[in-house]
Amino acid sequence: MATMNEPLRATIEGAEPLVVDVRAAAGGHAATDDAETGAAPPMRRPIVRRLAGGPAGARYEVVVDGWRFEVDVEPAARAALRDRASRGGTTGRGGGRHVVRAQIPGRILAVLVAAGDVVDAGQALLTVEAMKMENAVPAPWPGTIARVGAVAGQTVELGDELVEIE
Amino acid sequence: MSLRKDGARQGPPFRRVLIANRGEIALRVIRACHDLGIETVAIHSDADADARHVRAADQAIRIGPPPASESYLRIDAVVEAAVASGSDAVHPGYGFLSERPAFAEACRDAGLTFVGPEPATLRGLGDKLHARRAAAGVGVPVVPGSLEPIPVERADGFDAIADAASQIGFPLLVKAAAGGGGRGMRVVLEPRDLPAAVAAAAHEAEAAFGDGAVYLERRIDAARHIEVQLLGDAAGSVVAIGERDCSVQRRHQKLVEEGPAPGLEPAARQRLHALATAVARAVGLRNAATAEFLVEPGGEAWFLEVNARLQVEHGVTELITGLDLVQEQLWLAAGWPLGADVLAVAADAAHPARHAIEVRLSAEDPGRGFAPTAGRLGRWRAPSGLGVRMDDWVEDGTVIGGDYDPLLGKLLVVDADRPRAIARMVRALDELEVSGLQTTLPFHRWLMADPAFRAAELAIDFVDRRWRPDAMRAAAAGVAADAAARHHAADAGHPGQVMPSPDGRMATPTGSRSPWRAAGRAEAVDRWPR
Repeated sequence: MATMNEPLRATIEGAEPLVVDVRAAAGGHAATDDAETGAAPPMRRPIVRRLAGGPAGARYEVVVDGWRFEVDVEPAARAALRDRASRGGTTGRGGGRHVVRAQIPGRILAVLVAAGDVVDAGQALLTVEAMKMENAVPAPWPGTIARVGAVAGQTVELGDELVEIE
Repeated sequence: MSLRKDGARQGPPFRRVLIANRGEIALRVIRACHDLGIETVAIHSDADADARHVRAADQAIRIGPPPASESYLRIDAVVEAAVASGSDAVHPGYGFLSERPAFAEACRDAGLTFVGPEPATLRGLGDKLHARRAAAGVGVPVVPGSLEPIPVERADGFDAIADAASQIGFPLLVKAAAGGGGRGMRVVLEPRDLPAAVAAAAHEAEAAFGDGAVYLERRIDAARHIEVQLLGDAAGSVVAIGERDCSVQRRHQKLVEEGPAPGLEPAARQRLHALATAVARAVGLRNAATAEFLVEPGGEAWFLEVNARLQVEHGVTELITGLDLVQEQLWLAAGWPLGADVLAVAADAAHPARHAIEVRLSAEDPGRGFAPTAGRLGRWRAPSGLGVRMDDWVEDGTVIGGDYDPLLGKLLVVDADRPRAIARMVRALDELEVSGLQTTLPFHRWLMADPAFRAAELAIDFVDRRWRPDAMRAAAAGVAADAAARHHAADAGHPGQVMPSPDGRMATPTGSRSPWRAAGRAEAVDRWPR
């Protein structure tokens, strides 16, 4: 596993993915970049829990002041290698294809995109009825629809694949 | 309130009560029954077979599979369970069947006491227009708009609709006569949007309530939502025991409620209570109900509607008055008159001595427009201590799905005045630990610190105007990424990399200040293996 001072990559997927490389600094405080000043807001001690799964390395659930995140952690070097491979040498955000999954069980009311469509981030992909409410599922990233895995009228479970965006 | 000074009420009002509900309200009603020495019968769907309300009741009866339409909404199954269990009364809670006249009737026909109003009263109040006409009839101002359904079906109807709309003025709301919870409601900003809005609202109302009747109402934006808690007995006596401000809403659904309504002078409070009791008498209210008003900054109050059931936020009034409203409902349903302590509270309702606040903790993501979330709760540690009450139903490992509403629990606090109640809520929210699901917790933490909320600058568009979560969430994301990485490093056998600071708080890494800058920098560095 990780050796002392090996940089780690922490990734939060979602609408605005966050990728942070963390290196354990002398004195034990992790730091992501050079010394920058500014008062940090007072925060409660985060709840950290190891989850099963994760595409690489380890997945953690972290709750900070009530905000909940799933964070994938792996050695930064390994992540970079994989990025490079999937990206095929081009620049841009790594990962290639991204799957939009159902955030809640429910029923698909309408599918608003088809394979080949170009979508902007935030554009509605489909609408789902759950908990008596109609919810639009927005595109978390801009891109081209590679595949649509849902049809109107279908019931979906938490985590079901809805749409794949390239 | 178990020690009654009036001496009139003796023994429990019922021997055995079936609770036709689930979740926190089922638990709440069971507690009130047990406090009175009444046996309780829970009902449950397959999804709730091991839920807390099932374990708390003296007996439990399965009524169907998880979808509400096949379990909690099945009048036949619920009545059959009540009869089979030997219950003498049914408490409907809120939601589900609580306002269905057919359910109240079915209970009565089966020889059961329905804890709520008469079926005819429910039928009348279920039609919002009926309630508007009743209020207008006794001189209570209603929000300007139509008092009869607008003629959607008639060929020449649209001219009449356009005429009515221009008299009311824009922006206006198209609302379902049978509506509730924001469904069948459309905002119309200008005349040309009217036809489409009327058609859409009528269609949605038909689908949701089986009744496509809609009406027009002026939209009042800067107003506050204030509601008055009422109790009425079989002899026709109705009293107001206090009001609640429920202006902090999103999508016409309440997030936070408090009482008394901040900034109301005793005279204005008394006037509002008098309007509410006038409406309640006009519709023949029995048992517990709430009259809702919009109150404009100048103090002008407009009647909205009456909810003839226990409200979600009834606990606010309980903390202020010391009454147990569920117990009062049971006494009233059994035919007892309003108790001496209720009358005493009502007599002094213009001068409340305490302030209470409730926040709704729901499985919703306040960072994504309060969209519902689902999953399995990890940890659920409720706050406690003096002046803190948690009405929840979940526990570690509870699975939250899409079958029922997303409410996990209601956190309530009470103290001598509003600033102290807010301070207590801040403390209680700090104690709450919840993982596994995104909840509304970050919204409530923000709200309690928000200067406008603290100054009681309340209005129903408060959340739309002020809630901007992106920067807060981004800062938290930076901390989360860092905490996970350090936790991982520590797991891998490198203690010393996770360093809680001496005050017990996690040392906040520099990256949290600007995660986007940090992320950009991370992208920029050459991440080829070194």
